[in-house]
Amino acid sequence: MKIPKFAEVARGARFDVRPLQVMVPVISTVIALGIGVLIIASTGASVLGAIDAFWDGMAGSDFNIGASLNRAISLALVGLGFIFAGRANLTNVGGEGQIAMGGMFATAAALHGAGDLPLGLAFVVPLVVGTAAGALWGGLAGFLKAARGTNEVISTLLLSFIALPLVYWSVESFHLLRKPISDLSSLPESPEIPDTTKLPLLFPDNGSPLHIGLLIAAVAVVAVWLVLKHSPLGVRLRAVGLNATASRRAGMRTSLHVVLAMTVSGGFGGLAGAIMILGQQFYLTSDFSSGYGFDGLVVGLLSRGSAAGVVIGALLFGFLRSGSINMEISANVPSAVVLICQGLIVIIIAGSTILTNRKASR
Amino acid sequence: MIDEQMAVFIGSGLRLAVPIIFAATGEMLSERAGVLNLSLDGMMLMSAFAAALTSWATGSPLAGVAAGVVVATAVAAVQAVLSVTLRANQLVVGIGFNILALGTTTFLYREIFGPLSRDPIPGLAQLNLPWLASIPVIGPALSSQTGLAYVSILMVIVTWLLLKYTSFGLAVRAVGEDPRAADKAGISVARTRYLGVLYAGALAGLGGAFMSVADSNTFTENMTKGAGYLAITAVIFGGWNPWYTLAACLLFGFATALQFLVPALQLDVPVALLLLLPYLLALIAIAGFVGKGRQPGALTIPFERGG
Amino acid sequence: MAILELSGLTKRFGAFTALDNISLGIERGEVHCLLGENGAGKSTLCNLIFGVHRPDAGTMVLSGEQFQPRGPAEALQRGIVMVHQHFSLVPNMSVAENLMLGRASAVLKPQDIIVRMGQLAAEYGLEIDPDALIEDLSVGERQRVEIIKCLLGDPRLLVLDEPTAVLQPDEIDALLAICRQVALRGKSVILVTHKLGEIGRVADRTTVLRQGRIIETVTMEGADMRALVRSMVGRDVQSAGSVLAAAVDIEGKVPAKSAMDAVDPTSSGEAVLQISDLVYRDAHGLARLDGLNLTVGSGEIVGIAGVEGNGQTELGLILAGLASPSTGAIVVGGTPVTDCTPQQITDAGVGIVPEDRHAVACIKELSVAENLFLGAIGKFSRFGLLDKSARRKAAEAMMREFDVRASSPDVSMASLSGGNQQKAVLARELSLDPLVFLLAAQPTRGLDVGAIEAVYNRIRAARDRGLGVLLISSELEELMAVSDRIAVIYRGKLVGELSAGSFSREAIGAMMSGHAHV
Repeated sequence: MKIPKFAEVARGARFDVRPLQVMVPVISTVIALGIGVLIIASTGASVLGAIDAFWDGMAGSDFNIGASLNRAISLALVGLGFIFAGRANLTNVGGEGQIAMGGMFATAAALHGAGDLPLGLAFVVPLVVGTAAGALWGGLAGFLKAARGTNEVISTLLLSFIALPLVYWSVESFHLLRKPISDLSSLPESPEIPDTTKLPLLFPDNGSPLHIGLLIAAVAVVAVWLVLKHSPLGVRLRAVGLNATASRRAGMRTSLHVVLAMTVSGGFGGLAGAIMILGQQFYLTSDFSSGYGFDGLVVGLLSRGSAAGVVIGALLFGFLRSGSINMEISANVPSAVVLICQGLIVIIIAGSTILTNRKASR
Repeated sequence: MIDEQMAVFIGSGLRLAVPIIFAATGEMLSERAGVLNLSLDGMMLMSAFAAALTSWATGSPLAGVAAGVVVATAVAAVQAVLSVTLRANQLVVGIGFNILALGTTTFLYREIFGPLSRDPIPGLAQLNLPWLASIPVIGPALSSQTGLAYVSILMVIVTWLLLKYTSFGLAVRAVGEDPRAADKAGISVARTRYLGVLYAGALAGLGGAFMSVADSNTFTENMTKGAGYLAITAVIFGGWNPWYTLAACLLFGFATALQFLVPALQLDVPVALLLLLPYLLALIAIAGFVGKGRQPGALTIPFERGG
Repeated sequence: MAILELSGLTKRFGAFTALDNISLGIERGEVHCLLGENGAGKSTLCNLIFGVHRPDAGTMVLSGEQFQPRGPAEALQRGIVMVHQHFSLVPNMSVAENLMLGRASAVLKPQDIIVRMGQLAAEYGLEIDPDALIEDLSVGERQRVEIIKCLLGDPRLLVLDEPTAVLQPDEIDALLAICRQVALRGKSVILVTHKLGEIGRVADRTTVLRQGRIIETVTMEGADMRALVRSMVGRDVQSAGSVLAAAVDIEGKVPAKSAMDAVDPTSSGEAVLQISDLVYRDAHGLARLDGLNLTVGSGEIVGIAGVEGNGQTELGLILAGLASPSTGAIVVGGTPVTDCTPQQITDAGVGIVPEDRHAVACIKELSVAENLFLGAIGKFSRFGLLDKSARRKAAEAMMREFDVRASSPDVSMASLSGGNQQKAVLARELSLDPLVFLLAAQPTRGLDVGAIEAVYNRIRAARDRGLGVLLISSELEELMAVSDRIAVIYRGKLVGELSAGSFSREAIGAMMSGHAHV
């Protein structure tokens, strides 16, 4: 550094960017949804009719609200995992694979023994097994990063592309999870899990599919918030992510923190996958995780590292997804419109980091 | 019987490899310049759709190929603005584009073709070179390819020559390795990277167009099925070298084609394991357990002068 | 006639004015030195001329034509070339490839470059293997490649930004000779330095910069060197004492340490640091440290002198636990710490002020409080959660004690000046408990004069309370002002030692260049 004063003065002169960090996700969401409405209008479909169908799908009944919230639960968990890794400056884009592993192993646990366990353990054990499978999948990327310097974006992505065929294999192979061929069906999917392993419903009387995953997600949100913002571990993760050498000099075990961050991150994905199987789908198919990983990634991106942001983003996308499905069925507008909106949101937010990053260099 | 199956296997292996060869070759050059286009899959998908649409509308598959290249290059241009000029996270932008491309092509396909359309799309003709076909086993497989397949090998040669023997190639390598040094040598980092990304876009366009108007003569939703990711994987596995990348693409193509051969030969190998093989190999490669390829020093790192 | 005419150049970075109304003419065939302290604006001026930055006001005229470069490409095209402090060579490409970079010709012609290299080798004695990879070359060789790169295009103006800082004395001689050769051939040279000795040997004229302004431009024939120093630092050197002398590097003008330092050095007690036969081999198998032996006693400051790149950096990294020695042993206060983790080294009572403040000592995005307790993040927690108010209180106390000036412990480290950042690092390291030994590597690099004095005082105070201190510095005058003993490192070995009272610049200089043993 030749001129120590210049950098610090220049930095001090920058405007406060914090309002922007909130505004950018909001504005880009509004722009993307606006474009979505324009696209719907351009198809000649009735915009009001489409929005009506959309609303009905999101929140038109207790059942729809419950289904939307169930989607939001999984997205929130993946999003929490994303921001947990993000705290250590790691980008976990492997949510899809972590969900897949979690769902697959939760199914296996539920089908092989867990169903007979007493006292609610029947569903807790598969949840734990699924979480562990996801954690292992994420932790593997963390290990490769720490031990071999492998870029975690590429490794998590590759691990997803490895996990998806594994799920396919497990439901296609009779000596793995595939159900025996009966007269009725021979689809490559697992048998339905025992009733005891299904997650208890919160409101069993009114027909809402909303299950206790909501409580699990709520606890997870608070826990992640506390750990990231108010615990020594949160500071350490941040330090390691910002400057590994200085952290190492200060006595931190940097590799351990990288592995830990990715393990926890992957664990959230695994938990999400387990909850998807145990809460609503009840049997494993090869594409059960379809899209949730990337949606959860978008939720994590939108949140800018805040647990509250994850909740908002997860609710937004959970309801959007439900709405878009109904829109396609009732108003004949392709649900792909929502994909377009999601893509736009990601691109706009990523493109505006130049505004919100205090220091974009290096 | 076995010979016939081998010929089919080789033919389909090559056909599956060609789009990956196109995309990976362009992507290799772009990555040598320091920009990773995770959006490769999106570019291919957009191109496949544009090519199918144009070929269907005009009756000319060549016009389709041209349209595919134009559309993919346009996507690449936006990717370049974001990742070079706006210094956005290249990986996140890439994922965004892939979601956007999937949404856009799915939407337009349903709107334009309608969910039940089965109209045939004019496709490129096979070359059927008699002197090639006379070679035993591989002959029929080689001669049954379209001209575009041969172009893919040509592009590998062109890219190799560009990198090794031209000042543009030297600039690309310098910009991807040490942009600060390149900048001080008077090279425009931004211009070189833009050209690299556009090159990747144009080649991904050829690859995408190949899928719809040369290979399957139709468009289906999400028809690339992650071929773009596979191409990026091939670049890593090929150690950022054009010939090793080509070898990786062929390996991946034939590995994918095995899923048709294995059941025909009544071998008891799970198809799923064949599907994950390329990714597993690439993971092993980037973890540094095989291969000597070193990733370009400034890959995915935006350049900002001064500071 | 002036080849380059600058008038009224002003450059601001945010609220900070780096250059203020600079007017200056560079003549054809002259070596023109830019002299100034760190932060005087020398590098910024070079960067304006080379098009790296654009001026906020003022004009440049090159050979009678307006010159407003929009980037280095344009400056190059107009015949201006520059050798930067940090080399701009692509490490995994060959010398020839680096030389071809940025030269117009669609198809590469390595043969042409090799012929041209032969010509330059004959003219200036700049020999180098065209096929060698840059990453395999020494620092001096890399600089030679830089200069060849500059001369290839037959430039009008060669700008050299602090080129001698990284060189051995004999390499410096060769470089200055090349500068004269270049000027003899009718080209102009701008040479940036803060070393007066070099100016006397090479410059035709010298321009002195201070705080972004031109103080004076003098013709070197018959110039008064002391007057130059006065205009450079803004006050008389003798009255300003050792700190300023260190900053300007005047030969042989510094009084022996014992004469100017009133404090009696505490007599050195038992050894707190013992290094025996330390060897460190880098990735290429080169011995960067080659059998180094050193003992530091309690209550003494031992200085390590040497030209940069003789193993000082590696020694610092090993003592900090950031690199593992190949062989040898290190003992701190009776505890062996060879090949230990940074935490174990800290626990043994070692404080480290590392050479690279930004990369190793602090995390600039974190708050001052977080940086002050970087090694003890868990210290302030209740029920597993951070007790931020307790941490803030402790940080405030530490900031008062060590005079770290920041509006609050919660502002980011990046918002502090370099001097205050360094004081914070010292505060953290000197507050360790237990603490028996302190390593201070290049502790005043890039700091202003006031902060330098504060750092010296802290180091002396640490010595006085019984710590052993190892001071690694590339500034000889700094070492002579602060150390009780100076050991000279050359090619990874200590080649000689002097104690306070017998410091001689000439003797140390000779040992630094490997020419003499004492």
